[in-house]
Amino acid sequence: MTELVDVVLGGTFHAAVLFLVAAGLQLVFGVQKIVNLACGSFYALGAYFGITAVGLAIKLGMPPVLFLPVLVVAGLVIGLVGLPIERVLRTIYRRDESYQLLITFGFLLMFQDVFRYLWGATPRTMDNVYLAYGSAQFLGVRVPTYNLLVIAASLAIAVGLGLFLERTKIGRIVRATAENRDMAEGLGVNASKIFALVFTVGCMLGTVGGALVVPSSAASLDMAVELVVESFAVVVIGGLGSMRGALVGALVVGLMRAAAISLVPEMEMLSVYLVVVLVLIVRPAGLFGKAAA
Amino acid sequence: MKLTRRDFSRLAGSGLVAAAISKLFAPALAQNKPLRIGIIAPRSGAAGTAGECGIRAVQWATERMNKEGGIAGRKFELVIEEETNPKDTIERLRRLILQEKVDAIHGLISTGVSLGVAPVAEEEQALVVMWDGTTQDGVKEMMPNSKYVFRSTDNECEAVMGSLLAVKHFKGKFKRVAGINPDYSYGRNNWEAFKQILARYGVETEFVVEQWPKIGTMDLTSHIAALNAAKPDLIFSSMLFADLPVFMKQGHAAGLFNGVKMVLPAAGWQINQLKKEFTPEGIIFGHNTLYFDHPQASPLQKAFVQDYMDRYKEAPHWEADRAYFALATYKAGVEAAQKAGGKWPTQEQVAEAMPGLEVESLGGKGRFRKDKIAEQVFYQGPSTNTNKYDFPTLASIDTFQAEQLQKPPGADFWEWIKTAKMPV
Repeated sequence: MTELVDVVLGGTFHAAVLFLVAAGLQLVFGVQKIVNLACGSFYALGAYFGITAVGLAIKLGMPPVLFLPVLVVAGLVIGLVGLPIERVLRTIYRRDESYQLLITFGFLLMFQDVFRYLWGATPRTMDNVYLAYGSAQFLGVRVPTYNLLVIAASLAIAVGLGLFLERTKIGRIVRATAENRDMAEGLGVNASKIFALVFTVGCMLGTVGGALVVPSSAASLDMAVELVVESFAVVVIGGLGSMRGALVGALVVGLMRAAAISLVPEMEMLSVYLVVVLVLIVRPAGLFGKAAA
Repeated sequence: MKLTRRDFSRLAGSGLVAAAISKLFAPALAQNKPLRIGIIAPRSGAAGTAGECGIRAVQWATERMNKEGGIAGRKFELVIEEETNPKDTIERLRRLILQEKVDAIHGLISTGVSLGVAPVAEEEQALVVMWDGTTQDGVKEMMPNSKYVFRSTDNECEAVMGSLLAVKHFKGKFKRVAGINPDYSYGRNNWEAFKQILARYGVETEFVVEQWPKIGTMDLTSHIAALNAAKPDLIFSSMLFADLPVFMKQGHAAGLFNGVKMVLPAAGWQINQLKKEFTPEGIIFGHNTLYFDHPQASPLQKAFVQDYMDRYKEAPHWEADRAYFALATYKAGVEAAQKAGGKWPTQEQVAEAMPGLEVESLGGKGRFRKDKIAEQVFYQGPSTNTNKYDFPTLASIDTFQAEQLQKPPGADFWEWIKTAKMPV
């Protein structure tokens, strides 16, 4: 039983971070119809900036238990980088999808050099946050409290995002713009502002994800590309543009990976992409995606 | 102006004399120019820290050696290029040879890259002295008769030593064994070598789980869950790069190391990142060919470590030694070849002179064998957290020679490991 709990907790922690990045990807695609390959860069940016922010907090004499809120704020602040990037992307909204892919891929590569320039080429780690929260016993398994906090934060963000989209006026406008941009504009919606808002929120989901994960791992130049690959598995499984799909897809990927690592470690990636292939064959639009008309 | 036959003869004669004079003094003129040594090392990505440490060491050595007269009386300078993937690195190697016209090339850490680079260097007849790169495909030597390419000690040396020390220090104290190793030939071969050595020494073991995270996996939570579930008494891991500190941090938080013995043969590469707060004591901790805190260190090592720590505020690791060793053996080779020939030697003559020359490197004495594979001194031992640093040091030091840890020329590694005379 404890083995199962261990596997589920490990998979859920991975899924929690994956969800944040995939949710940003889904939100942007859902509204702006842009497949944003730079989502992995936002994740890495959050991780690097999180290290800088915690370094600053240490200099200011803040206690380690406050570093988690510092990281969340750091993720939100650096997520504002989405605003100028969205301004650049405006030039290709009406162009072919291949342009969008190319320009966001360009951002992905450019960001790598930005990280190299600002934070150096070697992986950066943060030692003083992950262990500051101690460990907890959960159904007979010792689990780092920080992992539980990240899972809780990710869930809270999922619920908050759902409420924002479903229950608020701006959320309704966002959904209306996603459904039919021309109609929304005809009704007086400033689509440009909505796009800027959506892209920045999507960017913030990635940067917060990166900032939250870095205390347990490391910020490295390669982390952006690696996460993009997994995020696309999440999107294919969950369905492009669906927030619920992002949540379920992230859980499927996280848990499949954890189960494979525990049972047949060599099958770690195979298990995930087996599901991707199955979904593409049986339900090409993904579990929660809308089939093309 | 009319050019007479006499004028022409005079001009032609003086031209010939000038040409003869320049020919006569060309080697002398060339020797007045500094030697150029190309360095190829990773400066980014997973191996970036290792490459940086090696580069710092050769820069330190360059300054020091140049002050003492350089190499055979000639000052030398470094031309640094980045080691990335095999294809791009080969292009940079060619650039160093053809455009920069370097006298030798040092560096290369990844065997994946050096395997591709070595045949090109042979073809170009360029002298290459590798820091940590080998020409092993798995454990099989692919270039046993190379003419220009000098390789590091075999990749498995540290694993063989770590395994022997597991027997020496832990025999009878563990039964359930787990492994978590990087998923490429280095990790696979190290794990297999460890299992073979335990079997050879009759250690009764049960291998309860094997984990193979790919390099750069930063979320090891699920791997740690699998290890925890297997309840091992001992964990063997040859993880490298940032992956190892991440594993230690996540493992510590999940309570993986409580009462568990550990063997980390390559831990010294990440020494500065392995903080005491998540690294338990008593680990068999590998420092490969340079243990920075050796109490009986040579004056050379002491001077280097002091300068390095003052300047960079961190401890140097074995890549510094490998880089220094490459430079020191090259220097010895050039000087020996020059002495033997009485003139400035060609790269071929240097390559012929280098094998067998013993040099003092940062970590101890070393040399290249006739098959141009290095023999150096290895340091490992049980770790302690009682020290002035924020990372572990060694409670006691075990010192083995490479001859005790690597297969002899031409031997099959798996056969050798079964029959070799081991130092424990």
